[in-house]
Amino acid sequence: MGDTWEQLLSEYLDGELSAVDRCEVEAHLADCTECRVTLEELRAVARRAAALENQAPERDLWIGIVQQIAATGSAEPGIVDIGERRAGRRGRITVSLPQLVAAGIVLVMLSAGSTLLLQPGGSEPVMQSEAALSQAAAVQAVRVGFDVTEYDAVIADLELALDQGRDRLDPNTVRVLEQSLATIDRAMLDAYEALEQDPTNSYLSAHLAATMKRKVELLQRAATIARAAS
Amino acid sequence: MIGLRNRPRAADAASEAADCALAASGDTRAFERLYRKHVARIHSLARRMIGGDMADEVTQDVFVRAWEKLGTFRGTATFGTWLYRLAINLILGRRAVLGRERERLSEGDGILDRMSYPERSPELGIDFEAAVGRLPNGARHVFVLHDVEGFKHHEIAELLGVTAGTSKAQLHRARMFLRRHLER
Repeated sequence: MGDTWEQLLSEYLDGELSAVDRCEVEAHLADCTECRVTLEELRAVARRAAALENQAPERDLWIGIVQQIAATGSAEPGIVDIGERRAGRRGRITVSLPQLVAAGIVLVMLSAGSTLLLQPGGSEPVMQSEAALSQAAAVQAVRVGFDVTEYDAVIADLELALDQGRDRLDPNTVRVLEQSLATIDRAMLDAYEALEQDPTNSYLSAHLAATMKRKVELLQRAATIARAAS
Repeated sequence: MIGLRNRPRAADAASEAADCALAASGDTRAFERLYRKHVARIHSLARRMIGGDMADEVTQDVFVRAWEKLGTFRGTATFGTWLYRLAINLILGRRAVLGRERERLSEGDGILDRMSYPERSPELGIDFEAAVGRLPNGARHVFVLHDVEGFKHHEIAELLGVTAGTSKAQLHRARMFLRRHLER
């Protein structure tokens, strides 16, 4: 085996050679046992490398990362962790695929209901594909970031304002509003229950936060309409 | 650009996209989930590329940098791909600070040429990963990026600032050295 041939073996192994060079190497391999052995060894090295397993560090580095984030002042207020808010009732049960699908359907209905009600100047729903609605819900879910701790107080104020102006709203609007709010409440209840079983599920956390925000927005819009009609 | 290995499955990509978006809005718990998911790969890359003694520090730096840059993540690639590229750039940048990469690559040629390929013997039965760690920097980087991570030579050349020919030569020398350290 000469150096010239040996140098070409890795490129031959990786399919990097031109057709002409590949034919020449193959012709040489047919006559050179040493090169054939070397080629198999190189192949074994490449296979061994590809099979290397990733290993986590021996110590947990997360605490150090959090400390550095805090030290650099780059930490930002995050979405309230619902699981933490409801501390003490954590469990860990896997949420089934049907549950997630059902949650997705509820969110699509929810989005459709909100779209219907929030159409300015009319009650005709805007037709959107489920994919678009899901995408919109997902986009909104990740942009939530409102203060969930004030949620109950905000909702109470808005519901009071709406009750005071309910008589001034169009009956169709009231009906759609109530249907949408009922759908939202069911979706939130389902999300709460799912999160109790799987508090670290990011999808559920995001969906719940987005749903809470959507309820606030819905009530705000309805209250505004009621005030405007007075 | 991402190695052929470690390409995420669709479900994983969707999950990490959601966590990435939450983290970008300031949710450290979502970011911790991303950390837990990717730390083994990033730490292994750091350990193989820059050595075990600095792998912890570099890994922490990668995730702190990722947190700081999450606002620039546009989702055109998966978070895993984005993080991995960020890690490679940081690791290679660290090496550039510690030494002159091009010179090390050139030196690597000489070191490997001077290292006679060892014959098999019982005392050479060291761990394959440990043997990778004994490669000169240039050959180790090319070997890890090509054979472990699945990058192509033209991609490695771009990352390391060398020619594709240099990458090929380094890979071959690394393999020739490592073939004697395969576990039998």
